[in-house]
Amino acid sequence: MTNAPSLNFTPARALPVAAVLLAMAVGILLVALTGVPVGEALGAFADGAWGSPYAIGASVNRAVIFALVGTGFVLADRARLTNVGGEGQIAVGAIAATAVSLYGGVQGLPLGLAFVLPLLAGALAGAAWGALPGLLKARAGTNEVISTLMLSFIGVWLLYWSVQSERLLRQPMSNSGTLPESLEIPSTTRLPFFLGDESMPINIGLPLTVLLGLGAAWLLARSLFGLHLRSVGLNALASRQAGMPIARTVVLAMTLAGALGGLAGAIMLQGDQYALKSGFSSGYGFDGLVVGLLARGSLPGVFAGALLFGFLRSGGINMEMAASVPSALVQVVQGMIILAVAGAALWMDRHGAAR
Amino acid sequence: MHAAFAPAIAVAVAAASSSVEAGRLRLNNVGKRFGAMAALDGVSLDIRAGEIHCLLGENGAGKSTLCNLVFGVHAPDSGSMLLDGAPYRPRGPADALASGIAMVHQHFSLVEDASVADNLLLGQSRGLLKRREAGARIRALAAQYGLELDPDAMIADLSVGERQRVEIIKCLMREPRLLVLDEPTAVLLPDEIAALLAVCRKVADSGCGVVLVTHKLAEIRQVADRITVLRGGRTVASSTAPATDIDSLVAAMIARDPKASTMPAAPAAPRRALSSDVRDEVLQVDGLTVKDAHGALRLDNVTLIVNRHEIVGIAGVEGNGQSELAAALSGMTKPAAGRFFVNGRPLAGSAPQEITRAGVGIVPEDRHAVGCVTGLSVAENIFLNQLHKFTRRGMLDRSAMRAAARGLMQRFDVRAASEDVAFGGLSGGNQQKAVLARELTQDNLALLIAAQPTRGLDVGAVEAVYNHIRAARDRGVAVLLISSELDDLLAVADRIVVLYRGRIMGVCPAGPEQRARIGAMMAGQSHD
Repeated sequence: MTNAPSLNFTPARALPVAAVLLAMAVGILLVALTGVPVGEALGAFADGAWGSPYAIGASVNRAVIFALVGTGFVLADRARLTNVGGEGQIAVGAIAATAVSLYGGVQGLPLGLAFVLPLLAGALAGAAWGALPGLLKARAGTNEVISTLMLSFIGVWLLYWSVQSERLLRQPMSNSGTLPESLEIPSTTRLPFFLGDESMPINIGLPLTVLLGLGAAWLLARSLFGLHLRSVGLNALASRQAGMPIARTVVLAMTLAGALGGLAGAIMLQGDQYALKSGFSSGYGFDGLVVGLLARGSLPGVFAGALLFGFLRSGGINMEMAASVPSALVQVVQGMIILAVAGAALWMDRHGAAR
Repeated sequence: MHAAFAPAIAVAVAAASSSVEAGRLRLNNVGKRFGAMAALDGVSLDIRAGEIHCLLGENGAGKSTLCNLVFGVHAPDSGSMLLDGAPYRPRGPADALASGIAMVHQHFSLVEDASVADNLLLGQSRGLLKRREAGARIRALAAQYGLELDPDAMIADLSVGERQRVEIIKCLMREPRLLVLDEPTAVLLPDEIAALLAVCRKVADSGCGVVLVTHKLAEIRQVADRITVLRGGRTVASSTAPATDIDSLVAAMIARDPKASTMPAAPAAPRRALSSDVRDEVLQVDGLTVKDAHGALRLDNVTLIVNRHEIVGIAGVEGNGQSELAAALSGMTKPAAGRFFVNGRPLAGSAPQEITRAGVGIVPEDRHAVGCVTGLSVAENIFLNQLHKFTRRGMLDRSAMRAAARGLMQRFDVRAASEDVAFGGLSGGNQQKAVLARELTQDNLALLIAAQPTRGLDVGAVEAVYNHIRAARDRGVAVLLISSELDDLLAVADRIVVLYRGRIMGVCPAGPEQRARIGAMMAGQSHD
């Protein structure tokens, strides 16, 4: 990895890409070592990631979730706050969206309110899940890494509990084989397809997420709040002397990050899974956090990383099912990508500082 | 050896008393540069066994750099050091320790959750810890030097003074030839200071050389055998007879560089006739008292008034409550007692934005920590507390802000490649001019609080800063100017209030003829 002079292509952009490619190459090598024919494994990966319209749709829907959580991470990160609570925010968002879809009396509402209100409920629940660590940080200086992580576990187990108890969201038990899941949500509360139909199930979560991403970029670049975020993150003492509302900025940053996580949970439920079950999210919040981390504060970086992780995950799942490559291996490759990009970032920082 | 300089004291090296041995550590013409700045500019120094040598100087005078050279943290660019006659070139603190030089730093390096004995064994033991042996040795050392300490106590339970004793014993266990203490009294309470100075005396009597870095004069009078004053990286004075001439030491320490001492004394603006509805008293401070995190009194019952059209200077050797006064008045510290009013509005304990809204401009002492955000642009920093002026419905009008910033940069002569570059890339003088531009152009500015506004600036920038402050005064703004540069205060201020140990020692009109009187008050001698 040299810092060769490049035309219109700064090493700052090239290095993470090179790092990802290197990690993938090592991943292929590992697949070969497990005895699975490399061609077969790669074929299965391609099929699962982009081999059919359905596969592409599934990959894009995953990318939407990563992009939302990653965007929230970048917003909070602008104030040097680290939101690692995406998983819990997804969980509470999904719980709220399920409850409103099934029991909120929204299914007959016109003008799309049937699916909009559950989305809003999800975002609100996530916002509360983010606001709490923000308040703790602003009032008591509690480390937000710890509090968001702990709230993540609480959120995930709340979801588990809510589908275990008939008094909460579990479907009525008709026999001993009834699974601990919620009922399927009514069709009017499901997200409409954006392009195409069931054969390529991209829902309106995609345009919504792109709009929110643009909104976040605008907020960071153009708004007073965006400047407050940067200033508070860079020097809280000077920001306080200049009269900025430090506590409000911190709480709002975490609330927005949480709202985006909660919305991601609602979109997963209403656009893809249609019923709440234990193991609903399986780590999307943590992968979204990684996407945000790897983007290093850049929103275009978040969307690029989200697409990469979305296709990687779809391909990985199919590689396991069709070619019997252990799913653990896919996660190993993902871990190597993270390390490679983080290492590349460290290298760039060191050399940037030396100059 | 020292610059030709009016109040410098005759060097009397040869007249040292016979009980003092010669030359433990000798520095010959030592220099050290950091970038363009000469931190030390040809310093020669002679520290003997058995003496307490006080190194005196303001912040930025080169004291810390000197310590770091002796302790091997930095290597000198020029000159040489001799330890007991042999060339001494430490390549790191480990070399310094091996050569018998020990240092008590301002910031302690102790493990909080371990006992005193375990902390002292750290780095000195191999294999098994011999706790009992160590405990006995610690007790013996403690008794020898009068350092009360329980080897089994946990560090976390100790006061700052007790922790410092642990650091000192850590040094003494190495049986050093030279003990350097960097501002050891800054963190101590008065009775702890007396105990520490007694320990220093005992260490010196045992034949060790002791270097005491400080800017507090009272303690020097108590213990120093010899004194060297550093200013701007040079030795400007040294003395063997401290008790006699503290005043001239103060003068040497705080005087400006001779080149710069021609601060033009502008005449005070003629007072305009004040309409009856305008208050003459802008700032009223009533019994303001500030305690630090340890409960020690830092500002003690300070009462003062600043009027319109007036610059009130706060003089004093650093660390006598000036920082606390500025922090309390700017809303960064809650006073323990007392009140203050700006144009009759009570503001003690108010948040900074309320104080700003009341028409107070603040030039903080620590520009980098409080005065600016170095990662933001020049324009953003110039309007850091006035961003609302460029905000419509939450959206920032950046082009208007940049245009306004360009105007102010021109008016205040802030030199930068553009208003968009990072603030941290500007020189100190340009940063300070930008801070002044921000604070002096606030709406309804009634009071300016400027704390050490010229620290670290070159002569030209110093002039510019004072011209802006004078211009504000002439417009009718009340100015509270806190500075450790007495000559500047004498030239710029209309009235001078002297702080000593957090209290007002006295108030007098400004003017060069007051120099001696104020100097004496700064040293703690009441003339009133």
